[in-house]
Amino acid sequence: MGEPDELNWIQNSLAGDKEAYAALVKQYQKMVHALTFRMTGSLDDAEDLAQETFLRAYQQLDSFRGEAKFSTWLCKIAVNLSLNWRTRENRRSDIHAKWSEGAILENDGRNKFSDELTHRVQKALNKLPAKQRAAIVLTVYENRSHAEAAKFLNCTEATISWRVFAARQKLKRWLKPISHEQL
Amino acid sequence: MNNSELESILKKAQVPERPNEFWEMFPRQVVRRLGHTQTQSSRVEWRWFPRLAWGLATAICVLAAFAIGHWHGRLETKTITSNDILQNPKLIRETLGMFPNQVRAIVQDERGLNLVLSEGENVPASAPLYIHICDGKHCSSLVTFSGQEIQIAGQKLTVLSEAQGGIILMGNQFVWSSTAQTHIRSGLKIEARNLNSITL
Repeated sequence: MGEPDELNWIQNSLAGDKEAYAALVKQYQKMVHALTFRMTGSLDDAEDLAQETFLRAYQQLDSFRGEAKFSTWLCKIAVNLSLNWRTRENRRSDIHAKWSEGAILENDGRNKFSDELTHRVQKALNKLPAKQRAAIVLTVYENRSHAEAAKFLNCTEATISWRVFAARQKLKRWLKPISHEQL
Repeated sequence: MNNSELESILKKAQVPERPNEFWEMFPRQVVRRLGHTQTQSSRVEWRWFPRLAWGLATAICVLAAFAIGHWHGRLETKTITSNDILQNPKLIRETLGMFPNQVRAIVQDERGLNLVLSEGENVPASAPLYIHICDGKHCSSLVTFSGQEIQIAGQKLTVLSEAQGGIILMGNQFVWSSTAQTHIRSGLKIEARNLNSITL
């Protein structure tokens, strides 16, 4: 169950209080942005997806039963929207092309990464198939168990374990030069 | 590199910082979009209301006309079902006459009635064969000819007619004959007969 404030915000939001919902957004905006950024590698897309996540959550708020934490519920919406975003994005163009061209500066320079390591890690994450990336984002960055990740992504625990395994193999290969520099 | 080393590298990658103003503005942007979405959806509902009403009225008229026509038709003629079509000599003869030596099969399944044509006029003239297959979930019926390879009820089958008038179906995992007791996979029901009466 959530914190007392959180429950009040949810109840008031359900009653149509937009300010209460704004408080919920404020509480979880950084978490959702971080997740959508890891999934997309673009600040602009992360922002769009974060907005979509909160809009979707508001529309489905009456289906939130409080069995899981609100943050867990939001996380599930965000990761699934990100997967669908990848599907749409794949149809239009491939973000990997931007990365391979070394386009670090995008969107008026707002995507400038704080350091080289972040850039290289995010580049490697972006090269993963979306479902493998989602498995890594959930298990590594969101500290979810394989069982929880499986529930988020509507698949079996074994599937998540396989995706994590496959993703790790690739990431180890792509990030090998970093490990030599860092370790 | 082991798993914990990889995880350590992954976690060192920071999400780019956003200015405080961004985090101040973001909840307001979401709330503004909530209002916009709601207003827009209510506007859409009202804009669509007259069209929806007209659409419903048209649909009711079409349904009424169809029901009357169907009822009238039932009084005048016997209903022709799909299976009737596949066993109706006149209809089959006319279909075959339209595409001489090109019709490989006339198939009836849940998707409707389909004509399988050969690109050239290379289907040998022979007596049509009627086949009905059910696999427990789906049923398909077809009229085809000896020597044709067909896809039916999820099975790829070669159809052959025997000199004595029997029909043989050869699948990937079974052989079935209309004249002999043969073992086929459970759940698969086959009925086949020679439509000798239809002369081409």
